[in-house]
Amino acid sequence: MPYLGSEDVVKELKKAMCNPHIQADRLRYRNVIQRVIRHMTQGLDMSGVFMEMVKASATIDIVQKKLVYLYMCTYAPLKPDLALLAINTLCKDCSDPNPMVRGLALRSMCSLRMPGVQEYIQQPILNGLRDKASYVRRVAVLGCAKMHNLHEDSEVDGTLVNELYSLLRDQDPIVVVNCLRSLEEILKHEGGVVINKPIAHHLLNRMSKLDQWGQGEVLNFLLRYQPRSEEELFDILNLLDGFLKSSSAGVVMGATKLFLALAKNFPHVQKDVLVRVKGPLLAACSSESRELCFAALCHVRQILHSLPGHFSRHYRKFFCCYSEPHYIKLQKVEVLCELVNDENVQQVLEELRGYCTDVSADFAQAAIFAIGGIARTYTEQCVQILTELLGLRQEHVTTAVVQTFRDLVWLCPQCAEAVCQALPGCAENIQDSEGKQALIWLLGVHGERIPNAPYVLEDFVENVKSETFPAVKMELLTALLRLFLSRPAECQDVLGRLVYYCIEEEKDMAVRDRGLFYYRLLLTGIDEVKQILCSPKSDPSLGLLEDQAEKPVNSWASDFNTLVPVYGKVRWATISNLQRAERRGPELPAPASFATSEPLIPEENKEQIQELSDAGALTLVPNHQITAEYFEKTWLRLKVAHQQVLPWQGAVHPDTLQVALQVVNIQTIAMSRAGARPWKAYLSAQDDSDCLFLAELLLGPDPSEMQVSVKQQEARTEALSSFISVLETVLGTIGDITS
Amino acid sequence: MIHSLFLINSSGDIFLEKHWKSVVSRSVCDYFFEAQERATEAENVPPVIPTPHHYLLSVYRHKIFFVAVIQTEVPPLFVIEFLHRVVDTFQDYFGVCSEPVIKDNVVVVYEVLEEMLDNGFPLATESNILKELIKPPTILRTVVNTITGSTNVGDQLPTGQLSVVPWRRTGVKYTNNEAYFDVIEEIDAIIDKSGSTITAEIQGVIDACVKLTGMPDLTLSFMNPRLLDDVSFHPCVRFKRWESERILSFIPPDGNFRLLSYHVSAQNLVAIPVYVKHNISFRDSSSLGRFEITVGPKQTMGKAIEGVIVTSQMPKGVLNMSLTPSQGVHTFDPVTKMLSWDVGKINPQKLPSLKGTMSLQAGASKPDENPTINLQFKIQQLAISGLKVNRLDMYGEKYKPFKGIKYMTKAGKFQVRT
Repeated sequence: MPYLGSEDVVKELKKAMCNPHIQADRLRYRNVIQRVIRHMTQGLDMSGVFMEMVKASATIDIVQKKLVYLYMCTYAPLKPDLALLAINTLCKDCSDPNPMVRGLALRSMCSLRMPGVQEYIQQPILNGLRDKASYVRRVAVLGCAKMHNLHEDSEVDGTLVNELYSLLRDQDPIVVVNCLRSLEEILKHEGGVVINKPIAHHLLNRMSKLDQWGQGEVLNFLLRYQPRSEEELFDILNLLDGFLKSSSAGVVMGATKLFLALAKNFPHVQKDVLVRVKGPLLAACSSESRELCFAALCHVRQILHSLPGHFSRHYRKFFCCYSEPHYIKLQKVEVLCELVNDENVQQVLEELRGYCTDVSADFAQAAIFAIGGIARTYTEQCVQILTELLGLRQEHVTTAVVQTFRDLVWLCPQCAEAVCQALPGCAENIQDSEGKQALIWLLGVHGERIPNAPYVLEDFVENVKSETFPAVKMELLTALLRLFLSRPAECQDVLGRLVYYCIEEEKDMAVRDRGLFYYRLLLTGIDEVKQILCSPKSDPSLGLLEDQAEKPVNSWASDFNTLVPVYGKVRWATISNLQRAERRGPELPAPASFATSEPLIPEENKEQIQELSDAGALTLVPNHQITAEYFEKTWLRLKVAHQQVLPWQGAVHPDTLQVALQVVNIQTIAMSRAGARPWKAYLSAQDDSDCLFLAELLLGPDPSEMQVSVKQQEARTEALSSFISVLETVLGTIGDITS
Repeated sequence: MIHSLFLINSSGDIFLEKHWKSVVSRSVCDYFFEAQERATEAENVPPVIPTPHHYLLSVYRHKIFFVAVIQTEVPPLFVIEFLHRVVDTFQDYFGVCSEPVIKDNVVVVYEVLEEMLDNGFPLATESNILKELIKPPTILRTVVNTITGSTNVGDQLPTGQLSVVPWRRTGVKYTNNEAYFDVIEEIDAIIDKSGSTITAEIQGVIDACVKLTGMPDLTLSFMNPRLLDDVSFHPCVRFKRWESERILSFIPPDGNFRLLSYHVSAQNLVAIPVYVKHNISFRDSSSLGRFEITVGPKQTMGKAIEGVIVTSQMPKGVLNMSLTPSQGVHTFDPVTKMLSWDVGKINPQKLPSLKGTMSLQAGASKPDENPTINLQFKIQQLAISGLKVNRLDMYGEKYKPFKGIKYMTKAGKFQVRT
């Protein structure tokens, strides 16, 4: 990180450090070194004095040592050859009688980050692991991870790993937690540290001795442990009960997540846990720290997705204070919007009504949109409030209200009448593109009920030349044409002018094309236009119903207490993908496991599948696609080439199955939903010689037998049998997982 | 876990950086600056900012952003809590935590950060253990150090590290054995126009300062423990004993610590100790508005209300205010439109009031919303929830300690809508 303007300073400091008078005076010497560090922290390039700093490391003064080591860790990657000179001193310090010096030297040596340092640090680390001072052991344990990171591709050292596993029994709690952290990094390619029964129980017993950070992390590691019996499970839950009341919000959330994960087959326990953490969570929501508040609110929203009534009694807690920062206010408004019920709707709406006149336009608009959200269930009250807001005649309020109206009319057609009465007079208060589009759309679709609709649109047409947004012009064209169909006499002239303008003068191609398109459409006759523009709309209730369905707790339990509730799963997935794709060089180490859930097919099984398909010399083409119609035709045409009954246990999880089949390049054409009886699925695959395989899975009245029928386009028995064995493996694996 | 830490001041300069795993370029903060620019005020900067390769988690305290760079999935609350702990530690070390102080003590800051985190994982965060590793700078010590050339670094390992009770060091000795407990309650409330309570809750803490020789085992009991249903404890408190007997039993850490924190949120239990009578009106026609507020005590159990400060953000249309207070001093900043009135102590016989007129922008329509009034106050020797300590006993040591308990009620986020 070279920054300009440092040359003179470096020169001066270099001179000072070489000065024997200063070297003789401990205080002055240290002051010079402090100045170097100070410049370093400000981002000046201080690598020029590396040689002098190495010399300064040979001292008995601990502070000076600390400073020099700090310096070295920063610049060692830039000057690896010079840094080697310092290693001798560091090695000597690693056997100093003072444990602090030993720890310090070991830590610095492990942080040097330069090639070739590994051979020097290995022995000191091993010694450090057996040091009698816990301080040194802590450093040494983390040192193992740092050493491994220096040579990421090198093999995992088995003896070291064993040593670390045995140190999990160390009497110092921080050493124990550091062991977990270190093993996790070293073994990340093998899925991280393994938590088996003895380790899990040992950790559970040590929990109360750990500090809050340790507790949080151990709770996270324990997620990997699957208790063998119900009894053991409830023992664990009892043991961890106290942590739901911890003073640290992080520990509470960690414990909650563990509870939710462990009790995934006991919905009533999950619900109980969520009731228990209600208090701590609400406390975090009103915590002094704004940032904690924010994170807690995100989690509250997550819980509300599954238990809509969970916080309804406490709705007043989510009322905004004037002095809160925006991000909290916005979250609170969202929460309020989600916990509305029959009893509190009046109070919540009144509160939200107050926010609509907030000084901050963004917040006011968010409040208006929230009222719009509530309007889906409590239409009448909300529309009344929104109509009153129009009376304020403020630009940002009016446009937000009109946009809300647009969405509302689409979702709850019954409120169209009220909206239409409110609309006249809004036009003069709307300036932005979104608001204009919404207003024009409304006027177009419901124009027959608004007396002055044609004249408002006419005004827009008059000013179309100065209109800057193409989207508004497009909307205007469509709206005017629609209105023309219901009120031809008032619109004909205006429509003519607009179409003429669009075709002759408009510079935006999309608008011009749309104009031409409508012109030609009109030429074909008015009935055709009606048929195209006023055909029945798609059913709006479809999307809505899906949104409101309550998600099961298990669908988000694995994301609880991660960044997902704060930024959404999709967002996080894209970011981690990006990171994976672009990960390169030493700047980005730690290819962390971002996967929030376990991979569907365990590694070993995947290999098995690969092997099988290789053996039969069958290569299925990835991404082959056929349509359902084509499938049906072919299926009826072909004869069954093979039929077989496979053992099956438990219910079918269509999604899991589909993903698993995708892995081996078998496409799913159609599948019954989970739990249906009889359950059917149709699959297809194609090998590299373009031979098509079609298969039917049938789970009949007897759920322990899966009937498989396969049809083949060209009769080739060898390929057929290998296809069947692939299918068998997948079904076998999935059957094992789900049961 | 935490890759790097950047300290950024509110004008957007990075004045300290520290890396634990590998050096992350400063340019990662550009995303933060972008967010900072977008947010109109410093405190509106969102605490989690995603960038293509990293996540930036920040806390904003003492006009400084503490920005942690994260590369892997982490529990967000965890990192936020840790950052707050860092700030608390700085404050503990230097008295105040501000940019110049951190810059002056940059070396100590580095030493502390180095001990708090290793390889990005939290290590020593308890302030009394840290203080043994690195002694905080004091004026006296600085003078002594300059003369004798000794250092701030303790040359002995903290003994507490090896004790069976992880939060307490062994071999503690005091000549005066004393244990002080402060019950501090903050009351958060929103009061509506007509004076009725919209929300009210009490956030209470018991902070302790325990300086006792040896390994004392304390028990603390309350007159009315039923008040405490939403409680969280310091790890030293024996949770099972609390559950069965409602008694706090613990071996205390040495020095200052927070014994427990609690919430009282049931509406009927929260008494509101002050009321505000207000009459703020704008008229459509005239460019003058009337302003009048009176503050008075209510449900204070005879204790005086002190340190009352009234602040209010006036609407944009208010140009100036001419007011006369019956006591205290008031200021109005015509730029930020912030009215602040330092009342002081409330005398129940003669209630403090602030009266006068507001001059409004000529021709502008009247503001849609009346201003909100924020209140700060303090009541000594009273825990507004009614919580009372019954007795404190010590076992395990022979001497008689000096015991003290203090109560105080403060306003938290206390606002009155008008």
